Amino acid sequence: MPQKFEVMVGNKAVAHAVRLARAKFISAFPITPQTTIVQYIADMVANGEIDAEYVTVEGELTAQASAFTAEAAGVRAFTATAGPGLLYMHHPMIATRNNRIPLVMAVMHRGIKGMDPDQTDMMAQRETGWMMMECESGQEILDTGLMAYKIAEDERVRLPILFAGDGYILSYTDEPINIPDEAMVDAFLPPYKTTIPLLPNQGQENRDFQMKQYSTDLDPQATFVEDQQAMENAKKVIKEVNAEFKKMFGRGYGNGLIEEYKTKNCEAVIVASGTIASTARVAIDKLQAEDKNVGLVRLKTFKPFPAEDFALIGSKVNVMGIIDRNISIGSGGWTFGEIRNSMYEVEERPKTLQFHAGLSGKEVRVQDLIKIGEKTLKAASGVKVSPLVEWV
Amino acid sequence: MITDSPRENAILMEIRFHGRGGQGAVTGVRLLSTALYYEGKYTLGIPMYGTERRGAPVQSFLRISEDRIYERDLVHEPDMVVVLDPLLAKTVPVTQGLKKGGLVLVNHPHSGLETGIGGPFKVATVDATKVAMETIGRPITNTAILGAFAKVTGMVKLSNLEEAAHHQWSGRIGEMNIKAMQKAYEVATPSVDVSNVKMEDVQLEKRARKAGERDVSSWRLFRPVFNDAKCIGCRRCYILCPEVAIGMKNNKATVNYQYCKGCGICNEECPTKAIDWIQETI
Repeated sequence: MPQKFEVMVGNKAVAHAVRLARAKFISAFPITPQTTIVQYIADMVANGEIDAEYVTVEGELTAQASAFTAEAAGVRAFTATAGPGLLYMHHPMIATRNNRIPLVMAVMHRGIKGMDPDQTDMMAQRETGWMMMECESGQEILDTGLMAYKIAEDERVRLPILFAGDGYILSYTDEPINIPDEAMVDAFLPPYKTTIPLLPNQGQENRDFQMKQYSTDLDPQATFVEDQQAMENAKKVIKEVNAEFKKMFGRGYGNGLIEEYKTKNCEAVIVASGTIASTARVAIDKLQAEDKNVGLVRLKTFKPFPAEDFALIGSKVNVMGIIDRNISIGSGGWTFGEIRNSMYEVEERPKTLQFHAGLSGKEVRVQDLIKIGEKTLKAASGVKVSPLVEWV
Repeated sequence: MITDSPRENAILMEIRFHGRGGQGAVTGVRLLSTALYYEGKYTLGIPMYGTERRGAPVQSFLRISEDRIYERDLVHEPDMVVVLDPLLAKTVPVTQGLKKGGLVLVNHPHSGLETGIGGPFKVATVDATKVAMETIGRPITNTAILGAFAKVTGMVKLSNLEEAAHHQWSGRIGEMNIKAMQKAYEVATPSVDVSNVKMEDVQLEKRARKAGERDVSSWRLFRPVFNDAKCIGCRRCYILCPEVAIGMKNNKATVNYQYCKGCGICNEECPTKAIDWIQETI
């Protein structure tokens, strides 16, 4: 079958994912660099390409709350935001997870300090219980958007999910993107049918569910246990969906949780995510061409955190150089902490180096990543390197 | 063939575009990306966004490769520089980082030897402002410069650019822009070696720190000249000027040229056509 490509920006790729997923409800509130997502969707709704209720709301709190209620009522919904908008959504995002609504949301990273991208906006939502996936190219945004619906709506999971890309770097960059065939997407992603409809006249299941959520008779912690179990299940489901997507469309992203790039026989690896990982591939190519054996592990899924995968990698390598485009002031990078946590039970744990790069949109160049790779390799050869936490 | 496998071929070419907000540097890169895609190339068109307003110097970048591109940083050492504005090179160091023997395509009415750009480079020119005024009626020079790009580099066929323009715009706007491309393709002058030309000093724009320091006069391609006999003192231009460059004296409009960026809103809005719209000399 001939493949259909179009040169478009990442934000348009998101709009195409929403169109192909046949979302029926879109709540739209603009914020740079997400604005053109809802703009492209508005065009598509106006042109009749998307058959959906398009609601312009007065803020992100309502954007989240209305999408959540629409999804609860039984239709596939979508919303998108960035940076400060995501912070404003924090409270209703927790409600979405509490009610186990499989809502899908796109996030174009925007820093908290200024307009430029970093992952601190997503990091601030770590404890909301949403699944989180990070993309490195416009194509991956489109594909992840489609996979996200399938993962979230799986009965073993039923958790909300957000998929993210770096604002500006992905949202406004033009590149040729393959638009999957509609019929194939329909086969991959059948129409959504909720098993616990919101409306009371739709059955006993909902009332039972509500009773379980808010009843005082049961153990108050019971729903947390269930949510945690669902998150654990999600790891398996993400791998399955990624494999199925690869089988149907010929494109996969590692195992869905992480992706290893040229890590064979490497004693040192660097860990990166998002567009930094994309640029890091070039750095790895250049390093390995000079027989400097450093590999790359790309983190795709931040939540659920792929602890088992990192434990496995940790048992094979000597040093990990972990790049974080985020920081929790007072404790350090998100993935640095999580990865070290994952590897605690490993007999011979590797050393870890922390790098902070690209915060508040600071450009990360190939040469920066080569330096990170070289430092990681130096540490692998037994040489003591300092500082252990470096700002690139 | 575009695949997910690691690419074999390195980047073919990296280009930096210099323009002003409103001249279409970003749209131009998208059109060129699309046209190059029709040629079977893989491209990455990277705009640089900030809090730009109309007339402010802006940049965008284009990477061209035979295969998927992974570099997501900006272009620092371009093979080619495209300048969409004839006066921009006076305030922006457009040849910064340009590789030795690199090509500069500049919107300029004179030949490559007379643009003030010198050094180990080649310079090609096209009077894109004139072409755009004739075909589009506004100094939006992106499509004209692309027509010249097709001729000077030979990397992209004019027909593919036209198809890309049809994809971007439908109807009259598409037709006007295609005419601009065709016309610029005809009138573009070939590149000349400028090794012996002395680079004119670049006067970097200072960032205004307090009121009165702001100077946007170099952004201007056209200047408004007020005709007091026709001015009825309606204050429409005074209210609408986005740069607050217009004042009122004896109930007649006056303009502070230091603040005027030549956007043309006053000329568009004047009910008595009391403003002459004069092109700045280059």
